[in-house]
Amino acid sequence: MQMPPQNQEYMIAAYVVAAAIYLGYALVLWRKGRRLLR
Amino acid sequence: MTAPADTPPLASAPSLESARRLVRRGWALTLLALAAAAGVYLLALAFTPLEVRQGAAQKIFYIHVPAAWAAMMAFSLVGLVSILYLWLKDPRLDRFAASSAEVGVVFSLVMLTTGPIWGKPIWGTWWTWDARLTLTLFLFFLFAGYLALRAALHDPAERARFSAVVGIMGLLLVPFVHLSVYLFRTLHPQPVVLKPSAPSLPGEMLRTLLVSVAVFTLLYVGLVTLRYGLALVEELREELRRDSAERWEGAR
Repeated sequence: MQMPPQNQEYMIAAYVVAAAIYLGYALVLWRKGRRLLR
Repeated sequence: MTAPADTPPLASAPSLESARRLVRRGWALTLLALAAAAGVYLLALAFTPLEVRQGAAQKIFYIHVPAAWAAMMAFSLVGLVSILYLWLKDPRLDRFAASSAEVGVVFSLVMLTTGPIWGKPIWGTWWTWDARLTLTLFLFFLFAGYLALRAALHDPAERARFSAVVGIMGLLLVPFVHLSVYLFRTLHPQPVVLKPSAPSLPGEMLRTLLVSVAVFTLLYVGLVTLRYGLALVEELREELRRDSAERWEGAR
């Protein structure tokens, strides 16, 4: 039986990077909103 | 443009309160989508089978493809709405195009970072200058340029007109990006869902992909609603500031 290659670290890196970009952008909008709506 | 001080505001003109409502709605949708995205992570990582030839790196597909889908949808809508703007000159269309372009750049950043992270273990290289990757990078630069152009121009009508032209250029590039895997010899995998024949993915993998596409589409809607609301608040505050400065000048 073929064993899958061991490359979990790439998967984890991609998921972390994607989450950081989405959350980072949400944070930018939150700060912008706070400045505009205060 | 501002109305004279003694003219009542138009009934259809957006108020600061309606802009705030839009921001609140945008936040509700964004937070809902981010919570659902956490669910997608769990579904992809814990409840979707491992692909035997690519291993765990194949699971990058469930965040890379939805990001690419959302980015292409965002850029296509910028182009379509820009055509409408040049015809109708409605500032809401320009505001929507600007919001969609900014959110599209965020999604394309996810696409352009997760792609190479998948490429390294599967292709043995982070990047290759093949047609799909290069055209996608051009599209990203084009819309980054679109945002830079908007930031550099201060006259609202001029900014809207010039950026609409750039937005339409971006729309023309989108079909080339999608079809590049058919038109050129490329390393990038061919589409597995958006293609003339039936999807070529096992059931559980297809389910995870479709759920992820739905969730990231919701995230696009939430972020664009939020960005649009904030742009509207910014414009209305600027208008109020200009009105009070004019009144102050008139009183002197």
